[in-house]
Amino acid sequence: MGEKRFMKGNEAIAEAAVRAGCRFFAGYPITPQNEIPEYLSWRLPEVGGVFVQGESEISSVNMVYGAAAMGTRAMTSSSGPGISLKAEGISYLAAAMLPAVIVNISRGGPGLGSIQPAQSDYLQATKALGHGGFHAMVFAPYSAQEAVDVLYEAWDYAERDRNPVFVLMDGCLGNIMEEVELPPMKELDEPPEWSLSRRNGRDWQGNITPIYTEPILEGLNAMAGEMYKSWEDDVKVEEYMLDDAEYVIVAYGIAARVSKEAVDTLRARGVKIGLLRPITLFPFPKSNLRNLDYSRVKGIIDIEMTLPAQMREDIELQVMERCPVYEYGRSGGVLLDDDGVLEAIEGFIEGGENNG
Amino acid sequence: MKKSFVFSGSGGQGIMSAGITLANTAIEMGLHATYLPEYGPEQRGGSAKCTVVVDDGAVVSPLPKQCDTLICMNELAYAKFIGDLKPGGMLVANANRIANPYERSDIKVIAVPVDDVALALGDPRTANIILLGILAGATGVISRMFLAEALKRKFGKKLAVLEMNIKALDKGIELAEDK
Repeated sequence: MGEKRFMKGNEAIAEAAVRAGCRFFAGYPITPQNEIPEYLSWRLPEVGGVFVQGESEISSVNMVYGAAAMGTRAMTSSSGPGISLKAEGISYLAAAMLPAVIVNISRGGPGLGSIQPAQSDYLQATKALGHGGFHAMVFAPYSAQEAVDVLYEAWDYAERDRNPVFVLMDGCLGNIMEEVELPPMKELDEPPEWSLSRRNGRDWQGNITPIYTEPILEGLNAMAGEMYKSWEDDVKVEEYMLDDAEYVIVAYGIAARVSKEAVDTLRARGVKIGLLRPITLFPFPKSNLRNLDYSRVKGIIDIEMTLPAQMREDIELQVMERCPVYEYGRSGGVLLDDDGVLEAIEGFIEGGENNG
Repeated sequence: MKKSFVFSGSGGQGIMSAGITLANTAIEMGLHATYLPEYGPEQRGGSAKCTVVVDDGAVVSPLPKQCDTLICMNELAYAKFIGDLKPGGMLVANANRIANPYERSDIKVIAVPVDDVALALGDPRTANIILLGILAGATGVISRMFLAEALKRKFGKKLAVLEMNIKALDKGIELAEDK
């Protein structure tokens, strides 16, 4: 059995990273993710790892590039504005085919935005983490426990694909304290064969580089495309009370917590409603949404803690106008709450019934 | 049975610490709890708020709009959050800093001059522990025994501090029983 603790989401991420084998972290402070570097600053040295508070976000992500090139399980974390600064480095990681984990504990945006929680970075995370048209798998845990589970596996995906893995969680979940059960320390194999630490002097089988000549780069782009397609098998999604649902909420992260409460409340009143919760935002659970029984489903409700809704386009591509798509959210650091979400859903249902 | 608590006041009044202790104590009692802090860029003197949700099963949403119990340590917090208390809910107000906590007639009010009581005990920093005592005495969600255990874990190595905090806890329980 694992070890139970009452922990902040941010601390749970940090401890799970250590137990997953992370031995290098570099980052630069920003609210609301500061507990991650604070925790790792004392925890990593305990296990023989290295913690660096970089002089900037850009230096930090590039130190992660260096550590990953050596085959070390490496991580950086930030919040929206800092992730934008790291965009160049994340793109370089993808180009150099280096595994690393990047965590975004998101806050209100755009710009410096607000230090309060928001889910305003969905589009950045899923469509363009940097220049050059690459993708990373994007995980969106909805509790401290799920954050632990995601971090524990994150490097396994990253090393399988030789590609960075991205974790998107808002400031609410970063700062919430709840019970978590921690897994044991992973015993790690040798660093991967391609890593610099396995190479002997000048006897190299090709470089680790973010720059290529034309035909090689085209080939790598095409290979990356095939890899993204293969991620369809890695989709993680929770389907809650969907079997007979006439209304389906689609929500991730903190919005899914509040939405699930609304489902419970409305089910107790006899409303046939359920929740489809993407745990991977990329790959998006397309087929789960596409294959709902639209002869029964009367409406899809997109709930996000950002305005306007950012996931809506991904939802609409699967719904294909077979039923209305509604959206509700709060934004800019103003939090969703149980009553607001419940009232919004009741309004959509009432409006839908009147029009139908 | 799901119960929500909002602790509010200003940075330095022990608001966050009281919330964490409540959540921790509930978990020790075999319940489930979430603790969510909200604060601005300030450290001391700025507004401080935290929400604790306690439930028999795992807590689904940690973001209730309305709370069952509201703890206000100053006027600003009272003005801001009194509307978020459920009808029939309970307000615990610091009478030293809130001029009139009796504006709503549909709630139960426990108004205690917490600052004065803490000073009389000998340490103004025990104000938040007095609040926890009041909660233990008035709501029954958490017990004195488990709270005392939590204080022992926190202050176990500083016996004089522990003793002072246990005194504050019992004073709070006594005050709740008087009301």
